[in-house]
This record gives sequence, C-alpha cells and structure tokens, in this order.
Amino acid sequence: MRKYFYIFKTELMSNLNYVFNVLFSFIGYFIHILVFFYLWSYIYSDSSQVINGYSKSQMIWYVIITEVIWSVLAGRSFCRKISEDVKSGNITYNLNKPYSYIGYLLSSKMGEMSISFVLYFIGAIILGLIFLGSLPSINIIQFIIVLLSCILACIISAFLIIIIGLFAFYIEDTGPFYWVYSKVILIFGTIFPIEFFPGILKNILSYSPIYVVSYGPAKLFVNFSYIESIKILIAQVIYIIITYLLCLLIYKKGEKRLNVNGG
Amino acid sequence: MSIIEVKKLKKEFKVKLKEKGFKGTIKSIIKPKYKKIKAVNDVSFSVEKGEMIAFIGPNGAGKSTTIKMLTGILHNDSGSIKVMDLDPKKDRKQLAYEIGCVFGQKEQLWTHLTPYDNFKFFGAVYDIPETVVEKKINELKELFELDSFIDTPVRNLSLGQRIRCEIVASLIHEPKILFLDEPTIGLDPVVKDNIRKLIKRMNKEYKTTIFLTSHDVSDIEKLCKRVIIINKGKVVLDDSMENLKYHYLNKKILDCKCKEEVNLSGEEGINIIKNKGVNLKIEVDTNKKSISDALKLLNPDNIIDINISNVPLEEIISNIYNDGE
Amino acid sequence: MEVRKEFKLMFTSAKYALMREMLNKVTFFSNIIFMILNNASFIIQWIILYSIKDNVGGYSFKMVMLLWALASFSFGISHFFFKRAYNLSNIIMNGSLDNYLVQPKNVLLSAISSDVDVSAIGDIIYGLIVYFVCGFSIDTFILFLIFGITSSLIITSIAVIVGSLSFWFTKSEGFADRMNNMITNFATYPEGIFRGVIKIILYTIIPLGVVSYIPIQVLTNFNLINFLIVIGSCILFIIFAFIIFNRGLKRYSSTNLMIARI
Repeated sequence: MRKYFYIFKTELMSNLNYVFNVLFSFIGYFIHILVFFYLWSYIYSDSSQVINGYSKSQMIWYVIITEVIWSVLAGRSFCRKISEDVKSGNITYNLNKPYSYIGYLLSSKMGEMSISFVLYFIGAIILGLIFLGSLPSINIIQFIIVLLSCILACIISAFLIIIIGLFAFYIEDTGPFYWVYSKVILIFGTIFPIEFFPGILKNILSYSPIYVVSYGPAKLFVNFSYIESIKILIAQVIYIIITYLLCLLIYKKGEKRLNVNGG
Repeated sequence: MSIIEVKKLKKEFKVKLKEKGFKGTIKSIIKPKYKKIKAVNDVSFSVEKGEMIAFIGPNGAGKSTTIKMLTGILHNDSGSIKVMDLDPKKDRKQLAYEIGCVFGQKEQLWTHLTPYDNFKFFGAVYDIPETVVEKKINELKELFELDSFIDTPVRNLSLGQRIRCEIVASLIHEPKILFLDEPTIGLDPVVKDNIRKLIKRMNKEYKTTIFLTSHDVSDIEKLCKRVIIINKGKVVLDDSMENLKYHYLNKKILDCKCKEEVNLSGEEGINIIKNKGVNLKIEVDTNKKSISDALKLLNPDNIIDINISNVPLEEIISNIYNDGE
Repeated sequence: MEVRKEFKLMFTSAKYALMREMLNKVTFFSNIIFMILNNASFIIQWIILYSIKDNVGGYSFKMVMLLWALASFSFGISHFFFKRAYNLSNIIMNGSLDNYLVQPKNVLLSAISSDVDVSAIGDIIYGLIVYFVCGFSIDTFILFLIFGITSSLIITSIAVIVGSLSFWFTKSEGFADRMNNMITNFATYPEGIFRGVIKIILYTIIPLGVVSYIPIQVLTNFNLINFLIVIGSCILFIIFAFIIFNRGLKRYSSTNLMIARI
C-alpha cells in the first residue's frame, strides 16, 4: 500500500506546480457551463417551471456537477498516455516492477486528479452561486456523501479510460474509441439527466456506467435522498470491482500477447 | 571572389535566470532577472567560392548561432553579412534558392515517405519542373549511392542512410552553398567516414561551397582545407588545415593496458600523462615519433588493450591561447 | 505567380501527408467514420431539446442542423488543410520554424499546412451530408461553400493569432487551446440563447458572428450587406493573422527564443 501512496504523493507534488494550468483549463469548464446556463435559461420559460422533474436551477446544478467529474478526469491525455505506453513497449518495463501496472496508473491518476478536483469543485460551487444565487437544499452530511460519490465516480471513470487505453494491445489507434466513449458520456450522462430519455433507453441507462460516473452523484447533489444515495454508493462499489477486474483481465491477456509477439 | 563575407558580426541573447524550486518560479515571474550572453562577439571571416570550410568549436561556442545568421534564421545585432551578395536579414527568400541546409539534429524529411517522394517534394518547394527534378534525383542517387534504399520509407532507414538523404534533399535545387550543421552527430565512425567521403566527392563534382560546423576535429581533418575555430563567440584561429595539423593535430593520445610495466620516460616525442603500472596513458608527438614507432616501444606483444584518440578540441583551443600569449 | 506556387506547394504538402495517413487503411477509415458518428451524436441532444420546446434561441430544428452543417464543414476544412495552425505554439517553441525559414516560401503557410488531420475529413463529409439532408438548392449550396471557406479561413486566422502569442509568451499554449475550443463550443449553439455581454463578445473577441451566425442568416434569407460583411471580415482576419505572425517571426529571428537548446 505504501508504494502506491508514494506514487500518489510524487504525482501530487509535481502537480502542485500545475495549479496554474488547472486554473487555466477551468476557463474551458467555465465556457461549457456558460453555454448551458444560457441554453437552459432560454428553454425554461420561468424559474418555477419543472421539466422531467427538474427545476431550472436543479438542471444547471446537475450540469455543473457532471461537468466537474468529466473535466477533472482529463481523459483524452490519460487514454493517449496508456495507449502510448502499450505501443512503445514502455509497459514491458512495468511488467517486472514490484507493483501492478493498473495500481500504478490509478494511483498516479488520482494524485493528478486530487488537485484539480479540489480546485474545480470550489470553482464550480462559486460559479453556480453566481449564476443561480443559491445552493440546492443539502446539509453537511449529505454534502459529504455527495463528495464521496463524486470521488468514487472519478475512480470508475479512470478505470473505464484505462480499459479503453489498454485496447491498444489489439488496435493501432484507440482515439476513435475514446471519442465515442466521451460523446456517450456527454450526451447521455452530462448534459441531460437520465429522466430526459424515453422509456427503454432510460432503463438501460440506469444500469449503465453512466448511472455511477455522472448521473448518480449529480442527482444526489440536486435532489438528495438517503435511499437513493445508498443505492448509488452500492452501485458504485459494484462498478469499481467490475471495472477493476476488467482492467486486470485485458492487461493480463495483452501481456500474454506481448510475450508471444516478443514485444 | 568571396561568396560569404562576414564583418564584425555580433549577436547577444538575453537569458532569463531562474532560481530553483517553487519560490524561484514565482520570483522569476514577478521580477525576472536576465543575463546577457554574447553568443557571437565580433566575428569576421570570408569564404571563397568552391571552398570547403570547417567551422569548429566546443558546444555553445556560437557555431549554430553563426550558421543561423548566415542562413537568415536569426538576425544579427550588428556587423554585416553578405552571402552571394545578399543580406540574409532582408533577402531571406531569394537567398533560400541559392543555399542548402542540413541541420544534423533536425530532420526535414517526411519519415513515412520514401526518399524518392521526399526529393520530389523538395523539388516542389524550390519550384523545379518535374522533368528537371527526375534528372537531378537520378544524378544524386548515383553520387550518394542511394540506389538500394531510395524506395524504402525513411523511417526504416539507418541514421547514416537518413543523413545521406537529408543531404541529397538539400541539394535538389543545386545550391551554390551548402551549410552542414553537425552533419555527423550521433553516427558511428565507419558511417561518419562514408559521409565525409561523399561530401568530398560532391564538392569536387559540383564545386559547391561547403560550410561545415562540427565539434569533432576528425570530421574536418579529412574534409576541409581551411579551418575557423570559434570559442566563446570569438574567432580563435583562421588558418589552413595543414598549419593546424602541423602545430596542433600532430599529437595523439595512446591509452593502453599492458601485461608488464614499460618505462618510456625520456623518449623523444613521448609525454607521459598517466602511469599507473600496467595502465599507461601517453601523448605522442607524431612530428617527432610515428605511431608505429611508439607502438614498437610499447611492444605489440605486451599490449592487452589500446585506444588511440585525438587530442580533445578543448585542449587544442587552450593550446592556441597559450601560444598566443 | 508567387501565390500560385504557394498554393501548389500547399496542396503537395497535403497530398503527401494524406498519403502517409493512408498507409494504415483501418486507422484512416475508422478515424473518418468515428468523427462522423461523433458529430452525429449531437443530433440526439437537439432532438431532446426540441421535444421540450419547439424553438431554441429563435432557431428551428432545421436551422440548428444547418448551423451544425456549416460549423462541421468549415472546421473540417480548416483542420484538414491547416492542422498545424492549431499546434503553432508547439512549432514555435520546438524550433521547427528553422526548417521553413531556409526555404524560399512563405514561412507561415509552409508551417501551418505541413500536415493534415484525417478525422477532419469526417467533419467535412458530415457537414455536407447534413446540408443535403436539410435541403439542397444551387444558390444556397454555392453560398454554403463560400461560407465554408470564409469561416474556415477566419478560424484558422484566429488559431494563427493566438498561436503566435508564443513568440512573446512562452506559456501561452494553454490559452491558444482554450480560445480554439471556445470557438468550437459556441459555434454549434443558436445565437438567440445568448444575451447581454456575451452577445457582444460573440460578435467581437470571439467572432462567431461572422463565423456562424451571419452566414446562417444569409443562407436562410439572403442579404447582400451581411454577405459582404462576412467576406470583408474574412479578409481582415487573414491580413491580421499575417501581420501578427510576421511581427512574431521578426522577434524570433532577433532573439532566438530557444537559447536554452543551443
């Protein structure tokens, strides 16, 4: 465990210098929220209107939270890094190190994400307060549960990206897979809550990773309920186990493939 | 007629000083400190048409800066440059048609394409009609012995083959002057030697003026008739290769491991640098004693391992300084 | 004559880069097809939005699709022919400009047109498909092509301008990226949803007025003055981009930003 902590710590330290960069990339986040603020403001004719169970302010807070989780992930470069590790054969150096490659990836990613998560979250709350004037009704314990759920969502997202990145064992360019993944998350998980989709699709989505990586935590934030929170946390734990096992499986299979092909 | 004429050339750089650590970063953002570096300081020389000239000096001496100014990449602070009667600062485009450049550390070729396709691309860069390009490629293919790999993608070529292609690519438009900046960097001795031969042949064939920089003395020893040595932005020596050889390149370093101790003290033309029993390092003045004689003194049967090398450039430069005083 | 040669070289560059990309057929086609799917996924977003309300920002569903068609088409052209404009900071910082400076061609054009973005072909195709689905007529198609070119030239010019900041500020790369993303972001939403200061910004600092909004107006309802405004702004942006880049290049040549690398 200690070695993972050290990987985490080194990554965190080296990223302290990049605080400025994070702040800079926050501008991109800000623009997204701005566009959605105007979009929903236009679509909701007045603030008392409720669409699919969401008021205007809940709708915008929903986007604010889901976008934080997505932005903090910085999935594109993470996915590219893993694919390049695989393709360049860098991964073989990791094969005989005394830690698991997946463990290494996750802990270094978490180190990188912690800083941006804290900064983004504070920035996002301030932004929401400026745009909407008030927080959704939520007490401190509930807020902590939401935070926990956000962190679990980040871990599952990281695992999902690792899975896509590891496809590089089998295909030349994992980029297109990442695009599709990012668009699926964007359309079905980030800009609309699951309730906005018609019957069957809604059911499928509530069992898909989208339920745990974006919908869950954001829904809790805008409309907290203890029953819902227990459901979401349990689903997240199950998903962490599934995605982790999938990572391991693909990695082990790929490793064998590498050995057969001689790297 | 001189083809390159440089007078009192000067170039200064401002370098931001940065202290270590996070504090230093903040400091350098708020109140940056600068240090001025005289990269090229009052350099004058001229090069005749058809000449092969070597421009040498240790790393950071100002070679690259000078070559960048001659080719119009960098602008000089003061002094004058005339390359084929053009001012690189003002007539960059016109000059570009007349010169060819190979920067050893920078690749110009498209790595996924074959050398042949690359050459055709450079033909287009210099507005050369298709038929002329074809002819030129054939001609250069012979000269640089590219036949066996002209249709192999550049990424699959060895470093030596690549550099040959880089040189050919820069010759497509028949430049009057070829600038070679560290062309043999990172190559092994056999390949280096081959490249040198080819450059020499090309100079003979086309009478192209060659301006070559290097920090490797052996590069120019075999290639050039004239040498300019530059150090810390100043010309240290501008002389014929022959003189340089006679005065400064006459010494070789022999580093050998023997079976038994050999006593060489007092031998004429031999200077013992280090003597640790069976490990011996000596400097041989070849004007006074040939290498073969020195080897005989060591007794070939007695030698386990030997390494013969040139005196490092830094040492030659310090020798030149000492002679001047 | 000069200009013709520059264009010829630009197309030769594109051709060669394309040849390289086509070496791996699977990657090549999957890049294009996935980009089309990628763009198409946004249709879902708009279907849902229009199921809630039948006009968004004064645009009908068809107009939003036309907006997407133009944005996708022009971004595709820009990214295909001038991929490196979006990478200009990098080119400046790593000293690659040296290679172009010793060639007898325009440095900016050679630098930004030296590579192609294959997925941008998907953007171009998607733009055309959506345009044809929205409805085809000779005169709107000609206008669509013209605006596709002007918009692509304007966004390329902006990319060059923000990229050129690297001549002065070593860490401006992030800013350039942001700016380029910002344009993509706004370009696919109806202008009518924006109000107040943002709207002013969209017609000035982020010139989406001339990239998207005015062209869409002209496409749906021809107006000569607006048409000329777009053409005029395009020319101004190009001139401005060249001026800024050349200023920076002069600075590059006289200071050698990359002293650390010598």
